[in-house]
Amino acid sequence: MVTAMFKNKADKLWYGFLAVAVILPFVPGVIGGSFFGHVATMILLYAAMAQSWNIISGYCGQTSFGHSVFFGIGAYGAALAVVNFNSLPWYGAPLGMLAAAVVSVIISYPCFKLKGHYFAIATFAIVEIFNRLFMIWDRVGGALGLDYPILPDGWKNFSWSETKNGYYLGALAIFVLVFSVVRWIEKNRMGYYLKAVRSGQETAESLGVNSTFVKLSAMALSASLAALCGAFFAQYNYRVDPPMVMSLDMSMKFVLITILGGLGTFWGPLLGALVLIPLQEYTRAYLSHLGAGVDLIIFGLIIIIVMIKQPLGIMGIIRYFTKRKTAKIEGDA
Amino acid sequence: MDNFVQVLIDGILSGLLYALVAAGLSLMWGVMDVINFAHGEFLMVAMYLCYWIGEILGIDPLFSWIAGGIFLFFVGALTYKLIIKNSLGKAAMAPLLATFGLSMLLKNFCMNRFTPNFRLLSGTIMEGKTFQFAGAIVSVPQLVTAIFSLVVLLGVYWLIKKTRVGWAIQATAMDKEAAELMGIDTENIYLLVFGIGGACVGVAGGLMTTYLAVHPEVGSLFSLIAFVVVALGGFGSIPGALFAALLIGLVESFTGFYVAAVVKYVAVFAIYLVVILIRPKGLFGW
Amino acid sequence: MQLRKRSMIAVVLVLSLSLMICASAFAADKVIKIGALFPLTGPAAVSGQNCVNSVLAAADVINMKNPEINAPLAAQEGLLNGYKIEIVKADHQGKPDVAKSEAERLYNQEKVFAIIGCYNSSATKPASAVAERAKKIFMCGCSSSAALTERGYKYFFRHAPTDAIESDEFVEYVEYLNKEKKAGIKTLGLIYENTEFGKHAAEEAQRAAKKAGLKIVANVPFNNGATNLNSEVQTLKAANPDAVFGAALGGDYSLWVRTMKQVNWLPKIAINYCTGYQNPAVQKELAADGDYFMGGMGYSPALAKEFMPEAVKIEKKYYTPRSNQAFDSDSIQEAVMLLVLAQAIEKAGAVDTEKVAAILRTESFPSALSLSGSVKFNPDGQNANALSVITQIKNLDYNTVFPLKYKKADPVFPMTPWDKR
Repeated sequence: MVTAMFKNKADKLWYGFLAVAVILPFVPGVIGGSFFGHVATMILLYAAMAQSWNIISGYCGQTSFGHSVFFGIGAYGAALAVVNFNSLPWYGAPLGMLAAAVVSVIISYPCFKLKGHYFAIATFAIVEIFNRLFMIWDRVGGALGLDYPILPDGWKNFSWSETKNGYYLGALAIFVLVFSVVRWIEKNRMGYYLKAVRSGQETAESLGVNSTFVKLSAMALSASLAALCGAFFAQYNYRVDPPMVMSLDMSMKFVLITILGGLGTFWGPLLGALVLIPLQEYTRAYLSHLGAGVDLIIFGLIIIIVMIKQPLGIMGIIRYFTKRKTAKIEGDA
Repeated sequence: MDNFVQVLIDGILSGLLYALVAAGLSLMWGVMDVINFAHGEFLMVAMYLCYWIGEILGIDPLFSWIAGGIFLFFVGALTYKLIIKNSLGKAAMAPLLATFGLSMLLKNFCMNRFTPNFRLLSGTIMEGKTFQFAGAIVSVPQLVTAIFSLVVLLGVYWLIKKTRVGWAIQATAMDKEAAELMGIDTENIYLLVFGIGGACVGVAGGLMTTYLAVHPEVGSLFSLIAFVVVALGGFGSIPGALFAALLIGLVESFTGFYVAAVVKYVAVFAIYLVVILIRPKGLFGW
Repeated sequence: MQLRKRSMIAVVLVLSLSLMICASAFAADKVIKIGALFPLTGPAAVSGQNCVNSVLAAADVINMKNPEINAPLAAQEGLLNGYKIEIVKADHQGKPDVAKSEAERLYNQEKVFAIIGCYNSSATKPASAVAERAKKIFMCGCSSSAALTERGYKYFFRHAPTDAIESDEFVEYVEYLNKEKKAGIKTLGLIYENTEFGKHAAEEAQRAAKKAGLKIVANVPFNNGATNLNSEVQTLKAANPDAVFGAALGGDYSLWVRTMKQVNWLPKIAINYCTGYQNPAVQKELAADGDYFMGGMGYSPALAKEFMPEAVKIEKKYYTPRSNQAFDSDSIQEAVMLLVLAQAIEKAGAVDTEKVAAILRTESFPSALSLSGSVKFNPDGQNANALSVITQIKNLDYNTVFPLKYKKADPVFPMTPWDKR
């Protein structure tokens, strides 16, 4: 009974949020060409990125620091189609997603043997290898990167200059896709498999779950969704180069947003992006007069405090308050 | 042939430097199963300290490494007290991510205070000193750093294997609860381990100021290489770290010269992956 | 309980939305806003800060009464009968994606008339793409990638000589030395950071060298921020080229020079692109080790004293108080771009992008801060009068050695070997 009610409430919250998000671009002056439009688009994109990472690292417990590789492959997929083949990103992006899924499986199959920190460091090394290889691979632009030519605005080229409404809706679509996938996983058998693997591979195996298959399919799904976000990122910035998409910095963004919001929770990535992205964008735009790096100093402090005080992030804080309140009400009664 | 000897010597010397940088990390990892992500930033802090000591007080890095070691001992201990202790055991990667936050903090604090300018001491005692050896040129400051590296590694090894404190550290590493029952103050052991880990990297940073420019990003690549060295050597094994560091140094210098300079780090990370996939716990891991 | 949880989430949502409410700047009357988009943080921040200070100095020249400075718009107060220039600073951290979004913010939110930027070529590309799409003016001072002006943009103007122009000049100098001094330079080595900047420079160097029949015997890209450059320098030494063209920034430059000293090797001549060579702070730390290297420059205090007296006045009055140092050849070009833009606005008689851009495309502008004394843009936006000279450093002085018109000292050639210093 309670779970049914909970699902209902969560659904209400989810559809309520979506309704507001969809209406925004149709209210004149809210998105348009404004900086707010940029921030809103980035919130949706980074929330989707973090959620894609959350699948493998939050729900399945395999902390990967290598997601910028998949993100980058997706970005290169779209950019190569447009820049090198004079084609449309609509062909490049799915190919990039496919490539990312394949690469993720090839990389992960041996790496899943590694435990704990050994796995984490292996994923660091993979990012460095891909970054440096793409830097010298001239077919994909090498260190020069790929620059988009100026194309007519519109959905065909997925490119706009006057207004951000198209990008905003595109990011919203990706956001809805990724979050819906996770909601579907949470409600279905796959979700239980993932959580079983997270709580212990041996336990999972003893319950008859093929843990290798579960982990690999979660990784492939996670990587291809990250690649889709990457394709959007390339379209949005008219450019891609290795330090921009395939770097440890970018990998850490996947990790930090999720961790800040709440690892392994449905709302965590959105909450994390809602706090971190505006903080990042507005401090850069309006606080940079305080001197170099002040926004990043604040960032570092927040991360330390969250990890010390509340490793479950904002979701943890919310749970703490809601629990305390309920406990109090029950106590009063 | 001359080239070969030169490349060999360069590889060994930079390998020993990596070993010195990684020694502290290896200790922290081995005893507490914690990765200090701010390790490279510890190195940077030590370099800035010794740079300023050299610039303001005129004391040569040949001596100021002592200050670097002592200062970083306290930085390490403080990091344990404030950050590691409070995040340990809360979530799987909590200490790693907390120290990542610390690394951002330190890096950008130095950027804010000292500007991103590259700073290099000039006129130090060992600066530019070289000698010929078997047809190759050996740089004195790098050789001195390498010797220090061997001494420090040997010292740490001796400390752990032959002293009462070391036995306590080993006992704590194996089984914390049992060690506490034996009357070992594990809190102090952890504090000490982080202090020693910091001191090792402090010494490295101090000596490096002779030949490497200091800037806020200087630690980034060193910390990645230190992670790889430690993971390659295996869980907290000091001889493993030394061996792995030499391997990394040689791979770097041979691919750098005989293949192409631009792929040397690709080779370093690739060799690490290959080894780790064959031996998931590292060369000397248990 | 669920209700509480939901309302908490709602509170967090509202709070973070309110975080986004930003103070929108009210545009005062008679102000022309110009964006200055540079790397104020990140690895290139030192140069970025210098560039901003330089733009601010140029704005002061225009806005204040400076009867003693003999430059266009200096004597009068403001332009267009009372309009003032207002500089809006922005930081792109050296990242292309940030440069792109900051450029959009400047044009759309801050309503700037034009942007000056971005130092890093990789950031200038997407930022100027924003400008071109929005049909707004983008002024580029010192980004050197030749590709920037090969895109057919109509609203993009660049002052600096490209790495293509510099490469041709370097090779020309080598040919001159071969002819006049029997230098016998036949082989060339390239060492450059593997980034957009280094890669472009190396490509242009290869093209120029091929034309002159110089044989490239070593082509060494390296990862910037490396822990050592042993293999790189060892590769150069083994190939032993007569001349080396280098493109290494800041700390990498000093590491490169020191490593060459360590292996006791030097080419006959080493010429650098716009790099650590031009950075006085880096040279100060290298001290005597940095001597006898050469590099392309558009500005040096010595050149200014002789050929650009007004630049010295502007530097003393408005630049040095801000940054505690002299102009350098990168940052000064950003000031030029603002002065040129202001002249174009004055000539157009209105703050109108199309009119101003048309004047920028066609007319020639006197420029007190340019070595050539004037600025004229080609149809592709490249400054046709871009000029850089080759200097050689000795005792921290940059002495001009080429072209002969500006020559101030005889070059020390070949470079004095390490053991004879």
